[in-house]
Amino acid sequence: MIALIDYKAGNIGSVKNALERLRFDWVVASRPEEILSAEGVIFPGQGRAGAAMKELKKRGVAAIISKIKKPFLGICLGMQLLGRYSEEDKTKCIGIFKGKCRKFPPTFKIPHIGWNKVELNQGSSLTAGIPDGSYFYFAHSYYVDAAEVKIIGKTSYGFDFPSIMQKDNFFAVQFHPEKSGEAGMKLLNNFCKLCS
Amino acid sequence: MFVIPAIDIIKGNCVRLKQGEYDQLKIYSDSPVKIAKEFERKGAKLLQVVDLEGARAGEPINKETIFSIAKMVSIPVQVGGGIRTFAHAESYLKNGIEKIILGTVVIENQKLLKRLLKEFGNNRIVVSLDIKDGVLAIRGWRKKVKTSIRRILSVLKKVDVKTLAVTDTLRDGLLKGPNFDLMDEFIEKGFQIIAAGGISTLADIQELNKRGAYGVIVGKALYEGNIDLQTAQLNVLPKNELAKRIIPCLDVKNGRVVKGAHFNDLRDVGDAVELGKRYGELGADEIVFLDISATLENRKTFCELVSKIAKEINIPFTVGGGVSSIDDIKNLLDAGADKVSIGSAAVKDPSLIRQAAKQFGSQCIVISVDAKKQRKKWRIYIKGGTEATDIDAVNFSKQMEELGAGELLVNSLDRDGTKKGFDIELLKIISGSVGIPVIASSGAGTMQDFLDVFQKANVDAALAASVFHYNEISIAELKKFLRRNKISIRL
Repeated sequence: MIALIDYKAGNIGSVKNALERLRFDWVVASRPEEILSAEGVIFPGQGRAGAAMKELKKRGVAAIISKIKKPFLGICLGMQLLGRYSEEDKTKCIGIFKGKCRKFPPTFKIPHIGWNKVELNQGSSLTAGIPDGSYFYFAHSYYVDAAEVKIIGKTSYGFDFPSIMQKDNFFAVQFHPEKSGEAGMKLLNNFCKLCS
Repeated sequence: MFVIPAIDIIKGNCVRLKQGEYDQLKIYSDSPVKIAKEFERKGAKLLQVVDLEGARAGEPINKETIFSIAKMVSIPVQVGGGIRTFAHAESYLKNGIEKIILGTVVIENQKLLKRLLKEFGNNRIVVSLDIKDGVLAIRGWRKKVKTSIRRILSVLKKVDVKTLAVTDTLRDGLLKGPNFDLMDEFIEKGFQIIAAGGISTLADIQELNKRGAYGVIVGKALYEGNIDLQTAQLNVLPKNELAKRIIPCLDVKNGRVVKGAHFNDLRDVGDAVELGKRYGELGADEIVFLDISATLENRKTFCELVSKIAKEINIPFTVGGGVSSIDDIKNLLDAGADKVSIGSAAVKDPSLIRQAAKQFGSQCIVISVDAKKQRKKWRIYIKGGTEATDIDAVNFSKQMEELGAGELLVNSLDRDGTKKGFDIELLKIISGSVGIPVIASSGAGTMQDFLDVFQKANVDAALAASVFHYNEISIAELKKFLRRNKISIRL
């Protein structure tokens, strides 16, 4: 069973639909015990950092995320909130990894919306079977500037930023795998297989 | 970062001055067009042409030469020198020049600066600040300005100037390296900075790139062969592989697709779920579903349809049509839509957009901008294009960006249904006025129309309906065609 963390701000519907299509069992979880007892956790994200952190704290979820020992996948805002700080709403975040979330400079249009390439730096069970340079769907204005993490994939938007990374059991992707066609389904499938 | 080759013109010749002194002049070529073409061949992405005589005279003098350069190259050209009136600026910006550089006029006539920014957008106006001994110099560097640079910058920020070309006049033409500290000062204030003056080696360019400059003007070092343009540009080129999107649009009425796509093997061309899936398989990057039902009852049906679509397709989709409240948006997003497109309601109550962006995030708020040209302006229309307002479409677009909209879907009522091509003029001015993605809509007839709109209007996506539905253009063929023509496309 995979727990989808529900904190109102996240668009969990699309992830739910994707897991349905892949035929994995899921449960929508918003209480700490539900999250801690699952075989894997997906932390979807949409919306703004400030409101999201507030809601996570209110539900007692923010404090327990670091205790999760099972495979964990942060998506989009769910990746950004794993850092220590986000420039969006000047928000103190969960702090799974060192580093912060910054706004894109105005070199190109913001938000960064659409399909962009992910260049794979190193092999990972998360990206098994996905060709290097595959396109994924992005929709965000902030990017993660992290330290002491494993950068599995990176993407260019004026400069390179991490689009897939990992620290211990915590995986994070900046794009929306649930909206990224075949490549995205493959990645979700790989993650779910890690959980069972 | 852009490495921008400089072509300075006197009497139709390509020249360089030393520290702006007209008596210290060296002629490099009598054919600036040839020089420009050579720069393009070597990979320049932007060209700067300065009418030095014009700068001195206070009006353009070498216009003909400049127009012929712009005509002969296919990269954007920015022009400076003697642009002091609205008519000067307009004659350049409406005749193939991408950006103009304003210097003296900024200090002497701020009203004009504001008018130009309003009319053409801040992507097309570059303000040039020539710094001499720590103060601003104007009129061909012969006059120093008393107002402090700090004060001038705060004024420029306030009127929404985006790009500054900063020249350290004491270094220009000396090949002694740029004044990095000076550039840092300007970059920190949040402007896009084009650095000029003294750039002499590849290392100078790399250093400016590292410090976050937007561009660097290179003149003498190119002509003297100290810097190889190709190497330099490749070295610091901002990598952007974000693909341009192709978006089919489906009209839905009472839960069924009307004017549905004509696929021979589909039994039910009115089934939105099937059609959505098929377009996804064919390579659509995104799909728009527009509800054209008139009754509230049928709106509910649409919401149920959205959740069925969301279950089946694994690419993003936008829904719109009659969205008029926070509840409407919430219901559609909850049903599984990735984005919601808002039209008339954004015009009637702009505060809705601020609230929606705050609550759901900018990335899911798309504004449908329905515009029609009336005399020289584009007016916003509402209620599906049936009712005119007196709102200017460019101002409206900027306002929507400020309120937090994430994308603009621009419909040209003049082109809608004509298949005469996208409205490049309208799309270019809107795209040049905002910093959020723009989706071009209305008028697509041929594959060339798509290429044109991506090449000429700097839009991020192109939307069409009937040419896809009636199989006049196959999405797969279109995407291959665009990629062959060097447009970044996901295949």
